Amino acid sequence: MLASQPSEASADGGSANARSPEGWMEIRGLTKSFAGEVALAEADLDIARGKVHGLVGANGAGKSTLIRCLAGVTTADRGRITIDGEDLHQGSPQASERAGLAFIHQELNLIPHFSALQNMLLGVRKVTRFGLIDWKRSSVRARAAAERVGMHFPLETTVSELSVAERWLVMIGKALMRDARLIAMDEPTASLSGPESEKLFSIIRDLSLNGVAILYVSHRLEEVLDLCDRITVLRDGRIVDAAERGRLDKKGLVRAIIGHDIRSPEDREHFTADKSGKPIFSARDVSWRDSVRDVSFDVFPGEVLALGGLVGAGRTELAHLVAGVQRPGTGHFALDGKPLASRNEAEAVETGIALVPEERRSQGLMLQHSLAINMNIASLSNLRSIPALPFLSTSKARRQAEGLVRRLGIKTPSIDTKIASLSGGNQQKALIARWLNSGIRLLILDEPSRGVDVGAREEIHGAIRALARSGVGIILISSDVEELAILADRVLVMAPHRGTHRSRDHRGPHHRAQLSYR
Amino acid sequence: MIKHSDAAGANALGRKPIDWRRAGLVFLSRYGTIVGLLLMIVFFSIMAPNTFFSRANFLNILSQASLTAIIAAGLTYTLVVGEFDLSVGFVASFVGLIVVGFMSYQGLPIWLSIAGALAVGIGKADPDGELVTKVRINAVIATLGVGTMLTGLGFSYSAFPIASGIPRAFTNISLSRVLFGIPNPVFFMAGILAVLWVILNRTDIGQKMQAVGANIEAARLSGIRVDRIKMFAFATAGFCAAITGTLLSSLLGSGTLGVGDGYLLDAFAAVFLGSATLREGQFHIVGTFVGVLILAVGFNGLAILGAPTNYQPIFKGGILILAVGMSTLARRYAASR
Repeated sequence: MLASQPSEASADGGSANARSPEGWMEIRGLTKSFAGEVALAEADLDIARGKVHGLVGANGAGKSTLIRCLAGVTTADRGRITIDGEDLHQGSPQASERAGLAFIHQELNLIPHFSALQNMLLGVRKVTRFGLIDWKRSSVRARAAAERVGMHFPLETTVSELSVAERWLVMIGKALMRDARLIAMDEPTASLSGPESEKLFSIIRDLSLNGVAILYVSHRLEEVLDLCDRITVLRDGRIVDAAERGRLDKKGLVRAIIGHDIRSPEDREHFTADKSGKPIFSARDVSWRDSVRDVSFDVFPGEVLALGGLVGAGRTELAHLVAGVQRPGTGHFALDGKPLASRNEAEAVETGIALVPEERRSQGLMLQHSLAINMNIASLSNLRSIPALPFLSTSKARRQAEGLVRRLGIKTPSIDTKIASLSGGNQQKALIARWLNSGIRLLILDEPSRGVDVGAREEIHGAIRALARSGVGIILISSDVEELAILADRVLVMAPHRGTHRSRDHRGPHHRAQLSYR
Repeated sequence: MIKHSDAAGANALGRKPIDWRRAGLVFLSRYGTIVGLLLMIVFFSIMAPNTFFSRANFLNILSQASLTAIIAAGLTYTLVVGEFDLSVGFVASFVGLIVVGFMSYQGLPIWLSIAGALAVGIGKADPDGELVTKVRINAVIATLGVGTMLTGLGFSYSAFPIASGIPRAFTNISLSRVLFGIPNPVFFMAGILAVLWVILNRTDIGQKMQAVGANIEAARLSGIRVDRIKMFAFATAGFCAAITGTLLSSLLGSGTLGVGDGYLLDAFAAVFLGSATLREGQFHIVGTFVGVLILAVGFNGLAILGAPTNYQPIFKGGILILAVGMSTLARRYAASR
């Protein structure tokens, strides 16, 4: 275990009573696993007052688990969190709030049709007169907090009318009102423009000067390097590095995040798809709301086309458009050169286009059902006893499921095991297996190896390659730079800000791999 | 620390010490209802050895159970796909009224009256299904609304009970005993439950229904036409409710407003008891049948022991809460694993 950077006072290995201005909050040995998947392993972390702490790592590295443990939303399997030497009662959001911890998530938890003021006062005991709320007196503290973060709009404005940047201010103000001593921010700049981000940074610096600790989670490494006093890197649930400002540069940070230098193109199987032939699938000038702007691309048979770019760049939305979950505002798709009419998921699947979704549990798995049912559900028509009649053959179903288990190396006691009890990697393999016998032409994989251990990841990659080799077109979405480098024949980079959407071909994995970590 | 390494060691071997509390919960969540049913039978048999424990009474129980079983099996389908149908009782009432009316007022032949009545039952699923899948009204509200409207329609069709002009052949459908002295409705029940079981467990559409109920997003992305599957479930529920209504009128030899309304609660209680049977929190036909038997045995036993009729609603309400409670616990337990 690579211990975190010990601060002067807690160098003796985390004696809880060693008070110091530095080690205000100490996290020791925090461990959490979900259904056998280790999400966080023996994490040690010191958080000091008035410092900006960066928390970086690939998706599934354990950042959100750490934050959820702090917030009391998740209870760690073991490990301690102490604040000023006192144990934090874990698993209770109320206790976390009382301890002065505030959390601002990407999808800001504000009630849209309440005013900024009402949102800030939510859950705060209000001053009442004759049993009615005295808004004026109740809002004194809120207004002071608003002043501090520079909210230059009337607090009576309804939140739905505020910009995303202004909503961030409301959230920060809300935290300050509650005397927050630590504010954790998850991807704060994901949906902010450049100047808005700058303003947020100056607020963050101001807060830290006033003694508030900031836990800053972001994929944008330059921001993190620029803003944070200390950077902690998580990989596969472990803290692999903890550096003071200036010790790490961007290259070192990327290396810490993915575990080694970005692989050279020689490691990868070379693109064998026949690009002189006709594309299997093409998109032309596709737009949808603000997330996807004028995107055009082709996928050739046997090709893995990756969608790179940051979270929030519209990749998942684009995948939904291709898979028929949403209908594009403008633009069109064609399969084998024939235009595809507006359609739903079922029609997309009928034409051979399917999506393995990002949210494995909520959109992919039927948790209370067996592995066999989960794998067979998209190819039931193969399993009929007599093709003309709708009756299923139990033996055919078993044979197909057993074949898939062997083909993908799914580790399971039996095909009748409930899929909920399998590991994340094996669940993901089952979701890919679902499509192998369904006559698929184009498969979209959204973050296929998120939260999956290294071994299963290799096997998933193998399955994707095998599928491509059989002539299926693959669209791969991944925030994992390394995965893009290993699997993708071409990368389409999507940029997050409105109007700047450009889809480009980037050749040479070395170059393109770094692009999505801009 | 030592504790942790111990636990890790046990996990590495893939072996855990037996958790009795957990094992008890598993047993209870799977077999609790069946044990309960058996205990009830034993209890009533001891209390009333001559009256309760007799072939005639068991046939009586089965006969009473059959109408509930048919309507509950249909209702099971809507719950399998994750929806609700609060209109099944109203449908049974309405169909029970018009099937007799067709014969008595319109003078239609028996087969045509029954065919028409069943068609009404299936057709009623259409507005339900459209409202739930297209307009996306909560199924509770949609079916309650449509069901209530049916009550009004029934009232305008015939405000008075229809008791004359009903052919003997119609009442014989449910009153006669064609085989081994077993009442006919028992055979109807057996046939319908068998067909519904086969559809649910051995056909495409059954697997798709289960998928829709298990995870609607996953079902959609798997290419399942979710709306059609839900329509099918509503249609089945309507069809089964119509059969129950028809048999009910045949048994009573008359058509009366609101006669089948009471089946709604019985059916729900049975279906939820069933979902806490054998499988943890899933709705299925065999479970529903067990649930129906629990209700029928309970009512019958209480009546034989001479409990006043006002105990019936108390028993019924209690069972409903118990059933939903057990089902919820079973599901939560299944999810927590």
